[in-house]
Amino acid sequence: MATYSLYLKDNIGNEYERKNMYLLELARLDEKISEETDKEERMALQKERKSLIANKKKHQHNVKLEEYRKKEDEFLKSIKAEESEYEKTLPEALNKQVRSLKARMFHHEKRMDFYNQYVNLTYEADFKYRESRIHVEQIPEIIGFIEVIEGELAQAFEEKDNIDPKDDAKMKEELKSFKREAKEKLDLEIKKVKERRREGIISSKAETNAIKELKREYKNQLKLKEYKIPSIENKDLIKGKKRELANGVKRGEKILKADVADTRRKIPVEFEKNRPMVAYLTSLIPGLGQLINGQRRKALFFFLATLFIYFIAIPYALGYGNYQGEGISGLVSLAEGGARIHKSLIFMIEGVVSIFLILIAIGLYYASFRDVLKTEKEMIKGIRPSNWFETKRTIFQEGFPYVTSFPAMLVIVFIVLVPVITTLLLSFTNMNPQNQSKFTWVGIENYRLIALGEGLAGSVFWLIFTWTIIWTLVATTLAILLGFFLALLVNNDRIKGKKFFRTIYILPWAVPAFITIMFFSVMVAPGGVITEILNSVFNARIEIKNDTVMTRAALILIQGWLGSAYVFLLTTGVLQAIPGDLYEAAEIDGASSFEKLRRITVPLVLFQIAPLLVTQYTFNFNNFSVIFLFNSGGPFDPQRYGNLAGSSDLLISYVYKLALVNQYQAIAAAITIFISLGVMFFAFLGFRRSKGFREGRL
Amino acid sequence: MALFSGKKKKDKGLYLSDKPPLTVAGIIGLVMSYTILIAWVVAIVWPLFQMVVSAFNGQQQQYIMGNENFEFSIRHFEFLYNETYYLTWVRNTLFIAISTALLTLVMVSFTGYAYSRYRFKGRKASLMAIMLIQTIPTFAGITAFFTMHSIVSSVIPAFSRQMMLILIYAGPAIASNTFILKGYIDSVSTELDDAAKIDGCSNFDIYRLIIMPIARPMLTIIALWSFIGPFMDYLLAKVLLTSPSTYTLAVGLFTLISDFRTMNQPAFAAGGLLTAIPIVIMFMVLQKQLVSGLTSGSVKG
Repeated sequence: MATYSLYLKDNIGNEYERKNMYLLELARLDEKISEETDKEERMALQKERKSLIANKKKHQHNVKLEEYRKKEDEFLKSIKAEESEYEKTLPEALNKQVRSLKARMFHHEKRMDFYNQYVNLTYEADFKYRESRIHVEQIPEIIGFIEVIEGELAQAFEEKDNIDPKDDAKMKEELKSFKREAKEKLDLEIKKVKERRREGIISSKAETNAIKELKREYKNQLKLKEYKIPSIENKDLIKGKKRELANGVKRGEKILKADVADTRRKIPVEFEKNRPMVAYLTSLIPGLGQLINGQRRKALFFFLATLFIYFIAIPYALGYGNYQGEGISGLVSLAEGGARIHKSLIFMIEGVVSIFLILIAIGLYYASFRDVLKTEKEMIKGIRPSNWFETKRTIFQEGFPYVTSFPAMLVIVFIVLVPVITTLLLSFTNMNPQNQSKFTWVGIENYRLIALGEGLAGSVFWLIFTWTIIWTLVATTLAILLGFFLALLVNNDRIKGKKFFRTIYILPWAVPAFITIMFFSVMVAPGGVITEILNSVFNARIEIKNDTVMTRAALILIQGWLGSAYVFLLTTGVLQAIPGDLYEAAEIDGASSFEKLRRITVPLVLFQIAPLLVTQYTFNFNNFSVIFLFNSGGPFDPQRYGNLAGSSDLLISYVYKLALVNQYQAIAAAITIFISLGVMFFAFLGFRRSKGFREGRL
Repeated sequence: MALFSGKKKKDKGLYLSDKPPLTVAGIIGLVMSYTILIAWVVAIVWPLFQMVVSAFNGQQQQYIMGNENFEFSIRHFEFLYNETYYLTWVRNTLFIAISTALLTLVMVSFTGYAYSRYRFKGRKASLMAIMLIQTIPTFAGITAFFTMHSIVSSVIPAFSRQMMLILIYAGPAIASNTFILKGYIDSVSTELDDAAKIDGCSNFDIYRLIIMPIARPMLTIIALWSFIGPFMDYLLAKVLLTSPSTYTLAVGLFTLISDFRTMNQPAFAAGGLLTAIPIVIMFMVLQKQLVSGLTSGSVKG
């Protein structure tokens, strides 16, 4: 049996005495019971407590409370009628806003009087009394504010009618001539500034600034003059007053709400209930608990979650509303025995989506349950549940990160995670040309085939893997060495035309790679420019694209050409930032140029761009474009590579060909997982070295 | 006069540079350096020059041949304009790239700010999850993308393949750029936020009035790279886009040199030239921003 505490608490820990005498007696008994050591005494006390609870209805305080509730009902009924009665007595001409404010004022005056009688009986009445008091104190201020501004507005309108059109026209005429003059003056001044620039007295930056300044001044002058025209001035005044009115009323209401919220925090609630029940009972229907706790608008939002759960997530997971699949169970069946048009892949994807929907649903259940439980526990302690005004404030403060990153998370989950998990699952199936629309689970068969290099698709895996590794190492290293070497040469003090060299050298980086690769492909095709030159030099027919070794060499050279520009750019940036005194100091100590290079330049540059160079390796590992656009992975060598791959294919282009050209999706998925794990490992290595991660500042 | 000429003579004899005078080895080294540098200039410029020449050479037929004479003509550009979908490809590419950049920018600006400035429940766990996710190569989901699109488009018929492509590009970009922006905002002192909060700014006001203006350089970089990524990509566009009128430039131009039915290599050179020029200008002008974006710690795999 849960016990009652002697005092109520608010959320900053202040203690308040109980007003409910019945509960107070219970609490006192509870305290006595807990302090009593003698067993028999304790039994007696517990008996007393039981009889107290049994006679709850007859308790003096509860009788009073009953009476209060009855009176309150009556009051609430009568106040409505009185209020509408009062509204009729208000003058017709009154502003609608003021009218409703006055009605509210009347309502709260009455309410204050009523609840004042019961302030000592219960905290409910106490709170309502104080709430009304705040209204009674502050509404007149708002009304007063409105009246003052409206008076000013009326005056402004009166002035508007009194404006002499002749006067106005005259002023407008004056403005026109003034504008002409000012414009002439401005042009003259600008001319002067430009002259000074031409003479070289001021810099071009100073020139633009001066012109800007002059133009600004000109505009200001015009604006000032414009407001001398009565009609324009009047218009602006009216606009300003109207805005002041709207903003002022809004601000007044906000202050009022904030004050009420403040009072809410200071006055505890008192409940007979001493165990959270609602949270558990309503946990399956998010929103209901909030509604029971009296948080109506919050409940509305959680009801939306309920709608999502019961009309989208759960039906979808059970297979209703699916495109073809059967929700989660589709993951097991994979459309086996289904209609002809049913595709296992669709069943699989819908199964994965179902799982994520269910996860989101569970998250929502949990969030709602936690919310209700927290509110309930606080209510038992004595903390008033927050109203919409406060909840809104909390959402905008603490909920901000959740609300703002929610769409991004949604995209990441459904666009990144769902496909990746599908691929992972696919790698355990037998989706191949024979089993296109219907396939089944086969366990780790695909991985076994790859590891042992067996089967149609698996047999060439290790060949391609070896070439991929060679390609990655050689092409990337070549690009790095080239770029680094060129940057060193250009950075030499004695080299003239640095700017020219630098501009040219980053061209391969700036021209879209797909265009240059395709053009290289055209140039080395039979009859292409490079082929023709090579033919005449070696006096033989050379067909680069039909020869494995030459194709590979050409690819590496092209990637060196492309990648060096990027390395050149990075290295140049670092080289320019190395302070010259380092070299001077080394020179004084008698270092040769080579030693300076080895001990100063290389370490400094490497230290700064090493993480980026690692990404260059992973980039080339997956460099689909250069392989596919240059020679589509060819030349084909069926004796060694079979019909599924060419001899310059990388793993990634092999995956592409397997999955999208030859329909060996399952084994392609297994290879993809293999590649991804490798890439993720290297990416993680790079990331672990980054500053933020090392210092634990995630 | 005599005085002047005398002085000049004297100056010629003086060695005024603060560098040590060149030795013979130094001179040889310098000559070699220049030779290498100029050779590399030729290596870079020659292929690009060939492309320009082929684009304007009216003598070239369907294939670009090495031994053709030159005759200036713009008929390849006319072919590109009249006989291919070049303009549509440009429009598609711009639509996809700009949409990706905008989508990424809006979402990342929120996530980066939230992860940098708030300590909320599940922050560390979700950050680790994002870190892991952003290392997964985008093509890992390649088999599922097509089918996923047909599922979604059965519900929303207006959901085109290009939109799917935009989402596919944006998803990983959001994940990886969240880190970059978070790191950047981390380096901005929170005193500004506190001051704004005291002055009565809401969280959204701080985001809008304080963080976004300060983070603008990094946001520019993020937008640029999320624009360039889709622009340069061939693989995903090739997988998802199936009809010539929906192609992007990379896929479309490739059909001009790979497919016998649409083969026209000079037209490809012309199209490549037209495409490259604005991009080269963009890269040259925004060089600094683009490089600082690279060095700011992206670890995308």
